[in-house]
Amino acid sequence: MSLALPARHLGEALGSLRTLGRRTLLALLGIVIGSASVIALVNIGDNAVEDARSIFKDLGTDTLVVQFPAQAGDQATLPPTLDLDALRQAVPGLAQLAPVQMFSAPVSVGGQSTNASVVGSDASLQGAMGLRLRQGRFLSAFDRSGNGAVLGAQLAETLGSPVRPLQVGDQVRINQDLFQVLGILVSQPNAVLVPVVANDALIVPFDAMRRLQARTRLDNLIVRVAPGRDVTVTGKALEAALARLLPGRESSVQVAQSILDGLTRQTRTFTYLLTALGGISLVGGGIGVMNVMLMNVAERRREIGVRMALGARRRDIRNLFLLEAMTLSAAGAACGALLGLLFAYLYARFSGWQFSLAGGALPLGVGSTLLVGLFFGLYPAVMAARLQPVEALRDD
Amino acid sequence: MVHPGLISLNGINKSYLQAGQRLRILSDVSLSLAPGESCALLGASGSGKSTLLNILGLLDQADEGEYRLAGHDIRQADPERLAGLRNRLIGFVFQSFNLLPRLSARENVALPLGYRGTPRREALARADRLLERVGLGQRGDHRPADLSGGQRQRVAIARALVGEPTLILADEPTGNLDAATAADIMDLLLGLNRERQVTLVMVTHDTRLAGRLERCLEMRQGVLHEGLAP
Repeated sequence: MSLALPARHLGEALGSLRTLGRRTLLALLGIVIGSASVIALVNIGDNAVEDARSIFKDLGTDTLVVQFPAQAGDQATLPPTLDLDALRQAVPGLAQLAPVQMFSAPVSVGGQSTNASVVGSDASLQGAMGLRLRQGRFLSAFDRSGNGAVLGAQLAETLGSPVRPLQVGDQVRINQDLFQVLGILVSQPNAVLVPVVANDALIVPFDAMRRLQARTRLDNLIVRVAPGRDVTVTGKALEAALARLLPGRESSVQVAQSILDGLTRQTRTFTYLLTALGGISLVGGGIGVMNVMLMNVAERRREIGVRMALGARRRDIRNLFLLEAMTLSAAGAACGALLGLLFAYLYARFSGWQFSLAGGALPLGVGSTLLVGLFFGLYPAVMAARLQPVEALRDD
Repeated sequence: MVHPGLISLNGINKSYLQAGQRLRILSDVSLSLAPGESCALLGASGSGKSTLLNILGLLDQADEGEYRLAGHDIRQADPERLAGLRNRLIGFVFQSFNLLPRLSARENVALPLGYRGTPRREALARADRLLERVGLGQRGDHRPADLSGGQRQRVAIARALVGEPTLILADEPTGNLDAATAADIMDLLLGLNRERQVTLVMVTHDTRLAGRLERCLEMRQGVLHEGLAP
């Protein structure tokens, strides 16, 4: 087929597809659905990954949490505190290092009372968890054992009344002890890994915990790694240092990044699965193309014979039918692209995600559709080209 | 080796396998035709005349024997080369016209030129000249369905001639036409044979039509005989 006349050949291809009528429409529908599902599913998967990332972005992928898992009969071996300064010196790159001890207790202000998670920590918790204050101030280095407290947003709301909201300077009762409200936190999302639920927390100085509980123990360390430091490497160093400082005591360091990576990997796996599903429906569409092209070839056997008698070479015949199959798939790819993007957009809207066009969705969807059209169009086209002229022209 | 003729067939055999039996269609057919000659090919149905025409037209291959067309050894040619030779040397006229229904008369006539890479504009201009010659200058934009049988066969003849072939193969070209139209078509074919010195081989049942051509050949059970049976 000479390249000088592409417009005319395209016109002929369109004309012959039109004469096949409803069958062409059905094949087109199949390829549109296949192409649309590839594009929609790739895009939806990509948006899901983006959404998962954005949810966990604020929690700080630079956060490490050290846990001290309970061991049978080891209550005595756990030191109530740890030499944090020694730890800071042993492990470079720790921007914030906050000890955490937690227990649940009823707290009350005036007539209002509720259960709160009482958190003993120090000034570095603010940096380690990225806490922001709505009112007042956070614990300072001078509040080591004083009776100041910082309340989470949700807790402050529960303890206040609409008539008289909780304010800095109010007294909060925990068991028999009174603490003065130093500050109230801004409401913030839960951080993955970090055991402290900031919104429900009542944060008091670490050493003040002695007055509240008979036996104090260090539950966790919340660590923020300095910018530019490799979180995983720092985590390993921290683990080694802890093993040295607390001999015989097991500690486990959890890295937020690795959990995030796991999550992302999981979401990606789903994306691959979805893409494979889209691919399967695309193959179904391709079989539809092959079907309509085989009928097309059978119905136009005589025309093939006439064209051969007039001097069409095998490749002219092959290209004639291949062009029709490709025209069909290109039209399907174009409609599928629009439909797929529309579907992905609606899906993102109804899932409350941010819609964004995934870079790979369109090239992958359109490319695979054309490839499928080529693959399934090739067999009928080659069959047509292999016909012997005398057989193609025979009446029967 | 010199072949003065346009066509030289020598010892052509052709048989088909049918229901497990070899069916001999052509046995030891030899024939030579000179450029510009006109020749009628007669015979009963199943006598093998269509097979002979297909072999002459490079649509089918003989099992045995030698075929030279305008100096080309056909037995050695591959499908690609056969397609090229059909395109340049041969024009076909079929009993059932075989025009492509979706193309206009002009596009049908221009079709063979497209397969040899002639630019479209030039091909259409040549198609218009040929349509003029066969008396359909005003019908170029019509689809085959809008034309009468005689007009369709004229379009087909124009298509056979557009590539300026040296050989026209006509398979009962008047078989589907009424007597008056058939006479017109015969006049056209013979006129073209004379004015362009194009060789004409025509399969027909009609001995009266055959009589208007220079030579008569008759196939009887796969064997070719010169002249009509008494």
